[in-house]
Parts: sequence; C-alpha cells; structure tokens
Amino acid sequence: MTGMKPAAGRGSTSGGGGKPEGLGPTSEIGRKLKQYYDELVSDDVPDRIMELMRKLETSEKSEPETPKGGR
Amino acid sequence: MSEPAAFRDDLVRTIPSLRAFAISLAQNNDRADDLVQETLVKAWDKQSSFQLGTNLKAWLFTILRNEFYSQMRKRGREVQDSDGLLTASVAIHPGQQGSVDLKDFRKALETLPEDQREAIILIGASGFSYEEAAEICGCAVGTIKSRVSRARTRLQDILGIEGDGDFGPDAISAQVLGSTAA
Repeated sequence: MTGMKPAAGRGSTSGGGGKPEGLGPTSEIGRKLKQYYDELVSDDVPDRIMELMRKLETSEKSEPETPKGGR
Repeated sequence: MSEPAAFRDDLVRTIPSLRAFAISLAQNNDRADDLVQETLVKAWDKQSSFQLGTNLKAWLFTILRNEFYSQMRKRGREVQDSDGLLTASVAIHPGQQGSVDLKDFRKALETLPEDQREAIILIGASGFSYEEAAEICGCAVGTIKSRVSRARTRLQDILGIEGDGDFGPDAISAQVLGSTAA
C-alpha cells in the first residue's frame, strides 16, 4: 500500500539480487578490483602471522574472558 | 567450549582475505600485517563471544576495520571524509585503450577516501553483500551503496573509463531491452 511501484515486467536493468551495479565481470572497474584483490589474497601469508597463530594456540591457557562490559 | 580447533582453522582460512582487506585499507603491507595480527589476537581473545554459525569472515573484517580506524585516530590522523576531499587531480592515462594497467588502478584506488575505498573493496572484491558491508562498517545499506557508486565513478574518472562501466553483452542488451527512460 505504499507508493512503491513494482517494476512491472519492464525489466529493470538492475539484475536481480545483490549484484553490485557496475562492478560485475563485464565492467572494467569490477574486473580490476577483483584482479587487484585476488593478487593480494594469493600472497603468501607472512611468517610472523603464522607464528602468532601458533603462539595463540599454545598459550591456550584458560584465561577467562575478562568481563569488561564492552559497550 | 566451542571447538577451538575448528575456530582456529576457520581463522587461518580467513587470513589471506583479511590481509588483502587490510592492505587495501592501510595501503602499506607492514601496517596491514600489524592490523591482521591485532585482529587475530582480539579475535582469539573474544572467541567465546563469537557465535558459531554466524559469519566469521564478517566478524573478523569488523574487528580489523575498527582497529584500523582507532589507530588512525590515535595517530591523530583525520579520517578522510569523502565530501570534504578535493578531487584528486591524478589523471592517469591508460596506455592501452580499454585495458587499465593494474598499477594505475592501484594508484587510483589509493586516491579514494577510506570510506569509499573500503566500500568498493568489500562489495566488489571481498564478496560481501551490501547488508554485510553495512554491518561491517556500522552504517546504513544506502550509505554503502552511495559510497560504492561514488567510488566507482571516481575510479572511472581517474582512469578515463567511459560510460557507466558495463561493457559487453550486458550493457548492450540492457540498451536493447529499452531503458529508453532518460
């Protein structure tokens, strides 16, 4: 009952669901963005990060979560 | 006790994309790695507050993002505000028509204000939905949409890409199918 018109069969070009307009695989920006990001993702994770993970796992002493009340 | 091993595995699996996001934000690998480390430590400490079955990746991105902005504030750096920012006069001329060099793209990306950069990365590269991105950034979905769209326009301007970005069959069929309005 709101004034919302259903995009009556007119085939609104905004392809269905969540696909970001203008960033799809047919857009140069979309492709570059992916390329840029994928390159970063495929980088080796630096040792210091993996070391940290190992440290976290081993320092698994049952430090109870400090009830800080967050916000 | 939620399976710490499973949590750990999921955490490790997310590191590469978390790191990619961090680099996109910080524009500096060392800083990005610091951010990732802080995020992992925080996530590890707070793992009991993480609800299994919810989106770990989004949760981690949120932590990292908060960390990034709080560090920026600590350094006394103004968070770039897209509205107040003067349009960078970085004119990059793509060497070849139709194809933008990745290096130029990276440079163009750097000129975006953080809020736009993170939005376009989250949506266009990290694979989050607008809703998820809005949650990560603590803002409205509409805000994310407008940041993405401004970012895209800006990148197109800088890189000299014509049109609204969609080349190829989709754009053409859209025309044919009569977006005669406008």
